This record gives sequence, structure tokens and C-alpha cells, in this order.
Amino acid sequence: MKEYRYVVDDPMGLHARPASVIFIEAGKYMCSIEADWNLQKADCKSLLAIMGLGAKKGDEVIFRFEGEDEDAAYYAIRSVLDKK
Amino acid sequence: MFEAWKKHLKRGGGKKEEILAPVEGLAVPLSEVKDPAFSQEILGKGMAIIPSKGRIVAPVSGVLSVMFETMHAVSITADNGAEVMIHVGLDTVQLKGEGFQSFKKQGERVKEGELLLKFDLEGIKAKGYDLVTPVIILNTMEYPNMKSHVGKQIMELEPIIEL
Repeated sequence: MKEYRYVVDDPMGLHARPASVIFIEAGKYMCSIEADWNLQKADCKSLLAIMGLGAKKGDEVIFRFEGEDEDAAYYAIRSVLDKK
Repeated sequence: MFEAWKKHLKRGGGKKEEILAPVEGLAVPLSEVKDPAFSQEILGKGMAIIPSKGRIVAPVSGVLSVMFETMHAVSITADNGAEVMIHVGLDTVQLKGEGFQSFKKQGERVKEGELLLKFDLEGIKAKGYDLVTPVIILNTMEYPNMKSHVGKQIMELEPIIEL
């Protein structure tokens, strides 16, 4: 299992556009990718789940990767999040 | 395979399901929306409505699964499993809720036709925003035979998408 702690930096939080970036990248990997925030869990392979988290600027979202390609997924998600 | 069959049964087995228009206006294909997230179907397949009235009603009965704090977009998870997103205008997240008014909270049950949002159509337009409102099925993959009705003026709650 790998973990990445990400502090939301989009001033509008995880709205449709940033959520879709995570969703598209997550869909490329076999491992499970979960985003946790404020006692809620979102499956990153569901756009609805990511948007439903309601994470806002400054919130720390923990991404958890579990499965065979978790390393690749971890670096991929990190790179799209850090690029923004 | 079994899961797919169960879903099929849950959806009433082969019976067509309809998503109704959440807003009155001109129905257009997603390809005409000037934002690649929608026109390239990145968020999912669907259609869009150029609104002629500033109100959004529930296009299906279900749960209001997303109500953004900025009130520019909502999503309803229908009782039959379809995830319907309504995004009022392009880049309207930047308005931070100004000009929008919500009538339901995230997590609440909504009935088809119930008022979800009101927005200041003229005011938002005057600020230079394109108010074209995509209606997207987020779990598009589950509906390979989806059809949209576009290219005409539609009233609130007219059928716009067949799943």
C-alpha cells in the first residue's frame, strides 16, 4: 500500500475540472485508488465520488493505492496533482 | 457477467429509461460546447441545453449526490443507478456562488421535477459567461446504447436522454 497526502490548492476545491483530472489518471491503473477526507472515502475511479467529497482549498486529502501497479499509479497521480 | 446481469434487472431489464430536461432551452450536442472537458466527453456522454430560464429542476428521482458549495453544478444519483451531472455554464465555478441560489442540500432525496437551483440568467450572461448547461451521464460506461435528443427547443422535464 502506498499513500500520498495532498493539500488541495485549487481555490475552488475539488470541483469538476480537477476531479476529472484525477479520475482520468486513476482509470489507467488496475490498483485500487481511494481518496480520504474528513472521514469520507472516495473511489477515484468514480468521478462522482471524487466530486462528492467536497474537499476545499487547504484540505488534506489522503490518496491510498493498493494493488500490483500501485507504484506506477502513485507517481502518476502525484504528477498530475503537483502539476496543477 | 453476473453483476452486469443483476444491474440490467435492477434497471427494469431492457426497458428504456429517460432523463428529463432539468432546464428549459435549446438542446444542443455536447460537441458544440466550448470546453473540451465536455465536448470531448471527458466527464462522460450527454448533451447540453442553452437555458432560456434561470431554474434547474431534478431530471430524475434519486439522491442529490453532489451540490458544489459554489452551486454552479449538481449531480443526482438516480434510483436506477444513473449518475447525472448538470453543470450550469462554463467556468462558472469562478463566480463562487454569486448569482446562484440552491434549494436542496447534498445527500438529500430529490423527486423528478423538484427545484434544485435558481440562477440569474441575465446577470451571469452580462458578466461574459457562456451559460450552456451540459447534462452528463458520469457513469457513461454502463450505458453503451445511450441516445440524446438535440437540435430543438425543449421545455422543462421533456425527455432528453434515453439510457
